[in-house]
Amino acid sequence: MAAQESIPSPWDQIPLPANVVVGRRCRIEQTHAMFHSYRSTQQPGLVLGDDVRVYYWTRFGIEPEGHVEVGDGSILAGAVFMCAESIVLGRRVQVSYNVMLLDCDFHPVDPELRKLDAVANSPAGDKADRQPLVSKPVVIEDDVRIGAGAIVLKGVHIGAGARVGAGTVVAKDVPAGAYVAGNPAVVAAEELPALR
Amino acid sequence: MTVLAHDWWPAEVPENVAVDESSWLYSSFAFIHHRSRREPSVRIAPNSWVFNCAHFDLGPDGELEIGEYCNIGGVVICSNGRVEIGDYSFVGSESVIADDFAPFPFDSVDEPGSPGPDTTIGDACWVGRRSLLLGGVTLGDGVIVGAGAVVDFDVPDYAIVAGNPGRIVGSKPPRSTD
Repeated sequence: MAAQESIPSPWDQIPLPANVVVGRRCRIEQTHAMFHSYRSTQQPGLVLGDDVRVYYWTRFGIEPEGHVEVGDGSILAGAVFMCAESIVLGRRVQVSYNVMLLDCDFHPVDPELRKLDAVANSPAGDKADRQPLVSKPVVIEDDVRIGAGAIVLKGVHIGAGARVGAGTVVAKDVPAGAYVAGNPAVVAAEELPALR
Repeated sequence: MTVLAHDWWPAEVPENVAVDESSWLYSSFAFIHHRSRREPSVRIAPNSWVFNCAHFDLGPDGELEIGEYCNIGGVVICSNGRVEIGDYSFVGSESVIADDFAPFPFDSVDEPGSPGPDTTIGDACWVGRRSLLLGGVTLGDGVIVGAGAVVDFDVPDYAIVAGNPGRIVGSKPPRSTD
């Protein structure tokens, strides 16, 4: 069987949102679901650099004030973005399957405020009464690799060349070149055999 | 050329994929990133299920063999080596079986690179949802992998492995009373 350079998508050759900037030789396995939660009103709301590959499981969930950038040569196998403010990936960043990248908790931590948020967000609720989003930008520098199933939480800065092990929950900054693994994430003294 | 009678995805199952007539494959969508040129690349023995969201993202030298009476959920198998799943095994959805910790689909059948490590799952294993089997592991027979466990080491027969990082937390040999 011949290689498919892009998946045939007979039903969802939908145009990208107008405020998405796509670089040269960029390949997107676009599905309707990929932009289902894309609400950015920024100019631009999403920037994909040159030679970026975006695979089927990726989801660009971006709130009106949100802005996502993906640097040249990056690969998104299954990156689920939930962005309220800013998530910026450098060049040649590899994001594996089932990864979540968030710059916001999307609900208040205070339980009473969270109740109010639940009411405002209910089917008959008034979304205008929702609690304000508290966000902190996420920055992922060049040549970072993020393992399958990892979750990167708000405010995290991952230094250049760092590696985030599979299934890792990252809530704190990761120094450049470090390898973090586990839940909670710890800087691993030894590399996992899977890395050799 | 094989077209699944019940398929919702408008594609054929690749020619180098052999699915026994008595087994059930949810969709040819499982092969959207299939790049293997092996003959056969994927073999599914009789009486097994392969469910929704399973993806066989095999590289040019990737091979997959699924035994009899298996229940394969929505697992992503992204390998350029040989992946073997024994008989009577269960694999949960959203789990990933891959050659290293940060896999992504192979670009083309001509992608340069050496074959990946071999992964073996024994008979009657039970691999939990969202678990990660990485770097060419061997699971013995009857192994239980807890949900979300990260396993990058070989696991002996009937062991129970759980956690991130994964560790062996017990065992369940046949007819054990505890």
